[in-house]
Parts: sequence; structure tokens; C-alpha cells
Amino acid sequence: MTQTIVLTGIARSKGKAAGEALVNRQRLGWAFNAVGNEDGVVLQPGADIEGECVGGKIVVYPTVHGSTSGAVSLYFKCTQTDHGPAALICREVHYIDIGGAIASGIPAVDSLDQDPIETIKTGDWVEIDAPKVGQKATVTITRKG
Amino acid sequence: MTMKLTQYQQEMLDGKHGEAKQFCMDKLTDFGEAVEAEEMVPLVLTLNGVPIWAKDRREPKMASKLAVYDLGHSALYDPLFAMKDAKVADHECTKCGSDPYMMQLDKYDVKDSGPWNFEIPGKGSFKIDEEIHRAYQDGYDKMAQHGWLNWLSCTPYFNTCIPKMGEYCASSESSAACYINTILGAKTNREQAVNTVYCAYTGCLPKYGMLLEENRAAKCIVELDDEVRDNLEGVADWAALGACIAEKADNRIMAVTNLPKMMGPTATKQIVSCASPGMNDPMMHLMGYTPESPTLEAAFKGKMPKNPERARVTMGDIIEMYQRLNNLMPAAGPDRAKPVDIVIMGCPHLTFEEVREIAQRLKGKKVKEGVKLWVQTDTPSYFMAHHYGDAKIIEDAGGKIYHQTCMVMTPMRHYPAGLTVATDSFKYVKLGSGFGQKWIFGNPEALINAAVTGVFTPTARWDYWSQPRDVRQTLAMPHVGITGSVSA
Repeated sequence: MTQTIVLTGIARSKGKAAGEALVNRQRLGWAFNAVGNEDGVVLQPGADIEGECVGGKIVVYPTVHGSTSGAVSLYFKCTQTDHGPAALICREVHYIDIGGAIASGIPAVDSLDQDPIETIKTGDWVEIDAPKVGQKATVTITRKG
Repeated sequence: MTMKLTQYQQEMLDGKHGEAKQFCMDKLTDFGEAVEAEEMVPLVLTLNGVPIWAKDRREPKMASKLAVYDLGHSALYDPLFAMKDAKVADHECTKCGSDPYMMQLDKYDVKDSGPWNFEIPGKGSFKIDEEIHRAYQDGYDKMAQHGWLNWLSCTPYFNTCIPKMGEYCASSESSAACYINTILGAKTNREQAVNTVYCAYTGCLPKYGMLLEENRAAKCIVELDDEVRDNLEGVADWAALGACIAEKADNRIMAVTNLPKMMGPTATKQIVSCASPGMNDPMMHLMGYTPESPTLEAAFKGKMPKNPERARVTMGDIIEMYQRLNNLMPAAGPDRAKPVDIVIMGCPHLTFEEVREIAQRLKGKKVKEGVKLWVQTDTPSYFMAHHYGDAKIIEDAGGKIYHQTCMVMTPMRHYPAGLTVATDSFKYVKLGSGFGQKWIFGNPEALINAAVTGVFTPTARWDYWSQPRDVRQTLAMPHVGITGSVSA
């Protein structure tokens, strides 16, 4: 039994992506001391996804936590060590993460018509189509029952 | 596209002014759309980091070194370095510079010269990797070729690039951002370090966040007790005050009242830089100092509620802040005598007045064998100190004075384990406390004494203020000043 949910939101960084969801209920930072630059492993104490690797995942979290260097550290993980996420989905993508996502060339989406933290479950297959910044983006969630 | 561009901005985007400007404008317009900006603003200051340049970042040996030394920003510059025509914004009013990083470049090889190259007998040594040094020098040279002025300073606003009221800046250095907004009246976000690269080459940035008047309004009032106003002395006191103010305001922009008269650049630098780690928005309205806020009504941008929320800072709060900082990674030893390995001052970079105070306190004394005294300042103050003789006093006493460096940006977690570091920097204690060393937070008087004796001992002034109020009232207040100041 496969369930499909389609949400629409606004693209804060453009692109297409598909991957498994990793949902974190706490705010999340991308700086090297929150998510390891070398291995993409979440170090942030108390995060739901602490210890998980974000590499290739669609990471779902409320909004940013911590330093302005999150932008460059996200970029480093995506383009230098290949341990970066495939896309970001937030309630609100903070401007630190918008800058990081644009530089990294990965989509980032917010303002969805349902709360992504409640709607998306870790392990869901998520596809994002976000063709233009500031415009409508589609998030398709596929859950195997 | 909804963002309004000037003709020149549009031309940059269309590629009429070269590949680099087009590349950067493309990124910035995307960002502008994402944050729903309506226009771009021209910048007078862009502050970012110098990259480590590597021909092949994926080569396994280099990649493993970069994982230790690179903050993540270096590769951002690669596409720009690969473009032939790349130059930073060429308007005479737009200045592009860099934060401090790892070493004083011309002293890399000088033994025992600072945080990048030192040995502590019996504890171990540290020297920055040679290949990284070369790669860093390469990054520095490439930046210079593109027209960056490599300030290597977190305080360019004192003497190198001084924005005026109402002008726009892009500072990825949080402490500089808070000073620029609060004391100079120019406008900047804590700009993320991706945008600042693109800002430099285009000279502009989408108008968003703290660049918009309505986002700069105070939301509450923090009032100092008279006792606080009248008794703060010394760098660490100002730092503790900044931290207390931010905490009381609970991540909101605040108006601060009942401040001392005649706070100089050192005091205001400390207050704002220590507030910024506790705040998302780098702005305080320091009444009597913040140019855009001659009145409380102005600080609230005309929207002051009838009964604005108020909080107070007491001497008890200041003392408690000292105690909390000293408990983050407490140094070993009894409370009244903790052995130290490194005494460091200069985060944010020391003003020339601070360098001068250190020299005066050190005059005629010797730093204890095996203890490091590191005095870190910006390039203009470094050369002033050499010109006026303060540097000679510090070095004759066995201390080191240097510029271009930020200790926490050197890979401190690879220092010998278990060192005790004493500092007057709130930021060092906060940033460095996860890296395995032990920390002491105190004022310059006590720090110089620690460097000379090898042991940190609280001062008489600290003993006085750390007593409960009823006990304190029975004691005489100690006076132990230098150049008219008293310190804990």
C-alpha cells in the first residue's frame, strides 16, 4: 500500500531533488560543529537526527540554529566532501541557509500548505520540484505502508 | 523578477561587466528573490574571510588537511579565481576586506611567535601545517590581485574602513556587524559568508533584514542599576555587561538606558561584541551612543508601547556572569591560585589603548618562564605600538605582540591537550570551551599578574564585589588603578 501526499510551497533556492527524508523537530545549524564537514554526521546535541548522516537526504527541520558560518559549511559539505543534503525543507528557511543552499545548488522550500514537520516522516521518499526562486515549488511525498 | 535593479546592476547581471560580476549578480538576485527584497543597496564595506587556495582540493592528502583547517569558505572563491576578469567592486567608496585567520604571515617560521607556532615545555607544541601556510599565502595573494585589501582584522571599523551613518555594509563578522549598527549607525546584517563573497565583486546586496529600517526597532528596555553604571572598569567588566544585557533582552533588540558617560571605543567594542553571540539581530540601542536613537521613541522607531517591557542589570548579574564563564571549562587548582599556560588578549582585536594599557602594566616585569603572553591586535595598532614603543616593552618583558590572527580560527582543538588559557575575551571562552582547554576569564590587571607569576589570582576588587551586599557595605572599596582605571 503506497500513500502519496503532494504539498506546495515556495522555493527559496531552486532545483530538483529526490531522496529519503530525515525529519528533525529541533532547529538545526549547518556549521562544522553542528553537522560534521568531513562526514555529514549530525553532532548537534539533542537533535532527533543526532548521529545520522545527512548525505543525499532531504532534511526537514523548523529553521536555523546558530552561526552565520552555517552557510559556508553547508556549501563545503555539498560541494567538497559530498556529504551534504540533497535538499532542505523548513517551516521557514532562514537567510543563512538560503545563502548556503543557493551556493550549493540544492533546492530549499518553505511556506508549505501543511506543516512539513508533522506531515513528512523520516524514511519517506520525497521529490522536490522548485524551478524558480520565490515561486511555487512542489513537494511529493511517497510513503510505503 | 520583481526586484528593481539599477541600470548598472542590470548590466552586471546581463554580463556586460564580465563573467565574475555576472556570476555573483546571478547568485545575489536569486537570494534577493528568496528573501523578497525589492531592491539592492550599494555597499561601503564588505568583510569576509581569506581562503586557503588549493590546486586540487580532492587530492586525498590535501583534502584531509583542509578538513582540519578550512572553515568551509575557501572553495567558494574557486570559480572566481578561475575567471580572468574578476575584480572586486571598483567604486572608490566600496571597500572589501577580510577577517583575521591563522597566523602573522611573515612570522610563520619564527619559533615561538604566537598561536600558530609555539612550544610549552613539558606540555607540547603546535605549528600550523607548512603546506596549509603556503596555500593560505596563495589565497591571500589571489585576493590582493582581485582588489581585496586583506585587513585580516575583525575591527576594521576603528581605523581602516569607517562606515558613516545610514550607509550599508555586509559583515560576516558578527562583532563588527553589531558595532557598525550600534555605534556607527551604518546598516549591516550578520551577513552569511556566502553572500559576502558575491557582495565584494558586485558592490551590492539585496535590501533585507537589518538593512530595513523597520527591522531595527527596539522591542524592550534594559536599564543599568546606578551601581553598575558607576563601577564598571576594565575590559572583562564591559564584556560581562554586554553578555548580561543580551541575556536580559532574550534575543530581542533592546534599548539600554543609564549607561556611563564617556565610554570609549574599547568599552563599546566589548559591550556590543559580547552581546552579539546572544542575539540573532546584531543591534543594540545604547542610549547616548547609538546615533539613530537620540530618544527612546526613536529607538522604538515611533512604536513605543505605553509600558514597554523593562529589565534591570545589577552588579550581582555581572558577578554571576564572571562566575558562569569561569565555570564553563574551569581551570584546575584552588580558587585563589590557578596555574596558567597561556594568557591571551585581543578578541575582538585590541584597540591601541588596550595595547598601551598592557605595556604599562608590564613595564619592568618579566613573563614567567614557560608561560605565554599573547597580545593580538589589528595591523594599524600593531605598527603604532612599534612606533610608540609599546611593542618593545611587551616583547622585552617576554610577551608577543602580533597581528592578522584569530586564535580560535587556528585549529585549537589540535593544541596540546589540557592547557589552561586565561583571557579577557568573552568570545574566546564561549567559542573555545568546546576544544578541550581549560579557561579563565578576568581583567587585564589580573591577567598580566598571571603572566608574570604563572598563577591566576583574583584581585582585591574582585574580592570586594563578589561579597554579598551586606558584607560589602562593611568593607572599603579597593582602588588599584592604572591610567585612571580600576579592574577586577
